[in-house]
Amino acid sequence: MKMTKIYEGNYQWIMYGRDPNKPDKIIDTNQYVVRTANRCLLIDPGGVELFAPMLAAVLHHAPVDEITDLFASHQDPDIISSLGLWDQALPHAKLHAAGLWEGFLRHFGCDSIQYVPIQDNGGVINLGSVELQIIPAHYLHSSANFNIYDPQAKILFSGDIGAALESPDAPVFVDNFDAHIEKMRYFHQRWMPSNQAKRAWVERVRSLDIDILAPQHGRMFKGNDVKRFLDWFESLQVGIAV
Amino acid sequence: MHVSQHKSQFVAVASIAAELSAVMEVAKEISLAAANAKAIAFRAGEKAKGFQPITDFINELAKETIELVNNINEHALKLYRLTVIEYRMSEACRRFESVAVRSANATYATTLKQSLDNARQRRNDCQRQFARHVSELLAQLADVMHPARAARVIAANSRIEASQAGEYLQSLQAVAESVDNAAQIIHDKVHKCRSALSVINTDE
Ligand SMILES: [Fe+2]
Ligand SMILES: [Fe+2]
Repeated sequence: MKMTKIYEGNYQWIMYGRDPNKPDKIIDTNQYVVRTANRCLLIDPGGVELFAPMLAAVLHHAPVDEITDLFASHQDPDIISSLGLWDQALPHAKLHAAGLWEGFLRHFGCDSIQYVPIQDNGGVINLGSVELQIIPAHYLHSSANFNIYDPQAKILFSGDIGAALESPDAPVFVDNFDAHIEKMRYFHQRWMPSNQAKRAWVERVRSLDIDILAPQHGRMFKGNDVKRFLDWFESLQVGIAV
Repeated sequence: MHVSQHKSQFVAVASIAAELSAVMEVAKEISLAAANAKAIAFRAGEKAKGFQPITDFINELAKETIELVNNINEHALKLYRLTVIEYRMSEACRRFESVAVRSANATYATTLKQSLDNARQRRNDCQRQFARHVSELLAQLADVMHPARAARVIAANSRIEASQAGEYLQSLQAVAESVDNAAQIIHDKVHKCRSALSVINTDE
């Protein structure tokens, strides 16, 4: 599993992805970790198949008992089907996820971990020295769906928004936005159902100061590519299957 | 425990539940047949005097079977839950072991030990509990065989008694027949349950 530090201050953001050993037929995912002095948040920790490589990778940065928080942007299997295993590994951790999905996510197994339901209007994840904002991104694509914004690191974790289907050895940052568009188009048109939701999200996110837009699949956007992405997404027609 | 073993465990436990609900249906049929027989015997009066206590007895047997099956159902449900937990624990152990191998050179590799030990402990507890429940369930299933066997004997007696019942002969014989059939079905289903259970390897 490749590890890339994307923010280094009093705490760190680390991106994990491009797992060379992942089974062929499952979609490649990016996992993100926020590591403070004594706590660790796993953002969209991934599917069952990813559990072992992911935990093994995190153990380079944090001991098991300092992995205190998990966040699931939505209910998809590539996001959080590993929950039942984390539940055994981290019995004292918290899972921050949509209240709307609680009864669904518990199917994965969540007996020890504390489920902290996120309300529709979002909230915060407090890691002691760091506070992260939970930004609503409903219907993009999931009906109860959240992003995470870190105003200090200026990183927006955007879940499936900004996702692209890439080869496993692709670089972690977009280096040619125009060339990247075709890898994103169908994903957004087909998985995102609502133009209205898309406009509301773009408007909201434009008001945030963002250095890195970090999606759950494909490459991250930084600098001007963040703005390019917002412009491109704003003008894209989504919900094309009907 | 291996994946295929878990699969057969899930299938076994599910098929037991299916057989048991069928046993329940049949037991209810018997109790209905008993009520029928009682009514006929009552109408037949003197001619079916010997038949009346038999119908009461059949009814008792049906009730007993229903009660036993209810208990067994509870047990089977526990067994199913244990199967789920045990499967999850085994999965956890397997994945944690994989983490240990992959993270050998990681700074905090050793911090996983507690979780791994706990998971192994819980898995072993589950396996022990599972084995205990399987043997208890086997014993309870053997108990259900008893009323079913008794019902067959009674059905044979009923036929003899029915033969004294003149114009009621046919209907009483039909009752005896249906009790006999039902008992046979219960016997077979319970037998299937037992063989499904014995497929599960609990030695591990
Ligand atoms: Fe998704
Ligand atoms: Fe996804």
